[in-house]
Amino acid sequence: MRILVVEDDTDLNRQLVAALEEAGYVVDSATDGEDGHFLGDTEPYDAVVLDLGLPSLDGLSVLENWRRDGRTMPVLILTARDRWSDKVAGIDAGADDYVAKPFHMEEVLARVRALVRRAAGHASNELTCGAVRLDLRSGRVTVDGSAVKLTSHEYRLLSYLLHHQGKVISRTELTEHLYDQDFDRDSNTVEVFVGRLRKKIGSDMIETIRGLGYRLGAASDT
Amino acid sequence: MTPETSANGDGRPVNRPQRSLAARLVFVAAVWSTIALAIAGVFLVSLYERASERAFDAQLEVHIKALIAEMLATNADASADQATATLTAPTYRGDPRFSLPLSGWYWTVRRADSPSILYASESLVGDPLNTPPIGQDDANAGFIVGPTGDEIRVLQQRITVEDAAYVIAVGAATAGFWADIFEFARLVAITLCIVGLGLILAIFLQVKFGLRPLARLRASLSAVRQGEAERIDEALPREIAPLAVELNALIVSNKEIVERARTHVGNLAHGLKTPLSVISNEARASGGPLADKVSEQASIMSTQIQHHLERARMAAQRRVIGVSCETEPVLARLIRAMGKIYQDKGVDVGFAQSGQVRFRGESQDLEEMSGNLIDNACKWAGSKVRVQVAPLNDPATNRDMFTITVEDDGPGLTPEQRAEAIKRGRRLDETVPGTGLGLSIVADLAALYGGTFDLESSSLGGLKARLVLPALSKE
Repeated sequence: MRILVVEDDTDLNRQLVAALEEAGYVVDSATDGEDGHFLGDTEPYDAVVLDLGLPSLDGLSVLENWRRDGRTMPVLILTARDRWSDKVAGIDAGADDYVAKPFHMEEVLARVRALVRRAAGHASNELTCGAVRLDLRSGRVTVDGSAVKLTSHEYRLLSYLLHHQGKVISRTELTEHLYDQDFDRDSNTVEVFVGRLRKKIGSDMIETIRGLGYRLGAASDT
Repeated sequence: MTPETSANGDGRPVNRPQRSLAARLVFVAAVWSTIALAIAGVFLVSLYERASERAFDAQLEVHIKALIAEMLATNADASADQATATLTAPTYRGDPRFSLPLSGWYWTVRRADSPSILYASESLVGDPLNTPPIGQDDANAGFIVGPTGDEIRVLQQRITVEDAAYVIAVGAATAGFWADIFEFARLVAITLCIVGLGLILAIFLQVKFGLRPLARLRASLSAVRQGEAERIDEALPREIAPLAVELNALIVSNKEIVERARTHVGNLAHGLKTPLSVISNEARASGGPLADKVSEQASIMSTQIQHHLERARMAAQRRVIGVSCETEPVLARLIRAMGKIYQDKGVDVGFAQSGQVRFRGESQDLEEMSGNLIDNACKWAGSKVRVQVAPLNDPATNRDMFTITVEDDGPGLTPEQRAEAIKRGRRLDETVPGTGLGLSIVADLAALYGGTFDLESSSLGGLKARLVLPALSKE
C-alpha cells in the first residue's frame, strides 16, 4: 500500500512518514503544494495525507485539482483550521476524512487504514481469504489461526493482494503500490517476494495468471 | 436641557430617541407662522382702523366745511344794520341724522372764549355736547361721551369772523365705526387662521417629503443590520449621500477587520497546532516519564489553545454588522459531509425543516454550532441521527427565533452527565477522539447570539440537543 504525505512542517512530515512506514505502508512525501500535487497527479497512491496549509499551492487547491483531473484516491486532510466551515470545505473539495491538529499519530493511522480499506470495498478491519487472515489494526497475519511472521515487503504484498482479492494484479501495479517512487521498476523482486509469500501462506493462495499478473484467492475458489 | 441618556445593565449609556425631526421642523415652522400671521393680522387691522378713521374724519370735515359755508353765507346775507350779529343761526341739515333727536350726529357753534353753545343741530337735545378744549389750535379732533352715553368722534375748527373767534364742532357716534373695525378684524382673524392651518399642512407635507430620503436611509440601514442587504443604497439626495457612502465604508471596514481577525486566528491556530502535533507525537514515540509529562502538558496546551482561539473568534464575531444566512443549505452541506465522515459507521442522518428559516448571524457560526452537535450525535449514535429545524416565536420577548434539534439513538446521558457535558473541556469518554470543547463552544456561541442551548433525552433513546437561535423576522 502506497501512501503520499504532503505536509510542509518537516518534523511533522518526518513523523508521519515514519509512523506510516512502521505501519507497513510505502510512503512518499512532499513539503509543498506543487510537489505534492505533481506526485499525486503522476503516481498511483492508495491514500494521501494532505495538510491544508501548504506553501506554493494550498491543500484545498491541490485536492480540487486532483479531483478535477479524475484522481480518485482517498484523501485524509490535516487541518489546524478546525472550524466546521473549514472541515466541510475540505470534504466538499473531495476529501474523504479529516484530522484536526494537534493529533495523535494513532488517529491518523486509524483513519488512513479505514480509507484504504473502504476504497478497496472492505467493511471490516480484518481481511480474510480462505485460511489467511490479516488484522489491519495490529498487522498480525494468521493462517488457520497460527501466526505467520512476514517481512515488511511480504506484509505489503499480502496486504495489497488481500485488499484487492479476486482481482488480477499486474506486476507493474504491484511494483507501483509496494515501492516508493525511487525504486527500480525493472527488477524482478516482486516475483521473489511472491515466491516467499507462497511458502508462508500456502502455494495455492496466489495464482499466477500468465502474461497478466497475480490473483489472490482461496484454493477452493480457483 | 437634560441629557436624554440612562445606563443599561453593563453601565453603558444608552441614548433615548429624541423628539422626531419632522415634529421639530413642523413645530418650529408652526410657531413661527402663527406669530407672523398674528403680527400681520394686528398690522392689517390697525391699517384698516386708521384708514376708516381718516375716512370718518373726512366725512365730518365735509360737514364742518358745509356748515361754515352756510354760516358765512348767512352772515353775508345779514344786512349792514345788523352788523353786530356776526353769525346767524345756521340750519344745517347736511345729513338727516342732524335733524333726528339724539341720533348720535351733532354739530355745535360756540364762541372760542366761552363754553356756552350759540347754535346746535336739531339732533342735540337736552345736555350740551362736552367738546374738548381747542386751546390755540385752528382745528382738533377727539373722542367724547355723547348725551346718550355713547362715544362720539368730534372734529372742531376755529373760524374768525370780524374779530370774533368761533369754534364749530361736528360729531358723530363711533358705534358703527367700531362695529366695522371689529367685523373686519374678525374676518381677518378667520382668514389668517385658515391660511395658518394651510401653511402648517403645507409645512408638514414639505417636511414629510423632504425627510423621505432619511426614512429610506433608515430602512436601508436597518436592512443591512438585519442582514437582508450587504450595503446601503447610495442613491440619495446630495446632502445625505455622503452619509450613506461613509456608512458603507464603515460596513466594509468592519467586515475587513473581522476577516483579518479570523485569518489571524487561523494562522495562529496553524502556527501553534502543527508544532504541538510534533511535540506530542515525538513524546509518545520516545516513551518514558518525561515523554508522558510532555504529552500531558501538550494536551493541556492544545485544549487551552482551542478554547482561547474559539473565544477570539467569538470576540471577532461580535463586531460583525448584520449578517444572516439560510439554515437549510448550511445544514444540508454539513449532513452531506457527516455522511462521508461517518460512512463506515453507517449512521443515517435524517434532516427535516419546516418552512424557510434564516439565521440572524454568521453562517460559519451556525455551521460550528450545528456541526459540533451533529458530529457529537454521529459519534454516539447507534444507527440513527435526526436533525430538525423549526421556526419559533419567543413569547417572552416576541422575537423571532428558531430551534435546531439534534437527536441520536445512542446511549444518551443522565441529567448529571448532561450538566457536566456542557462544561468547558469536559470529555465524558476519553476513548472517543475530541477536545471536549464541542458542546461548551455551542453553549457559548448560542449565548452570544442571545439564544439557548440545552440537552434532554430523546425519544430515539439517546441524547437530544436543542439549540434556540435568533431568526430573521419575516417582514
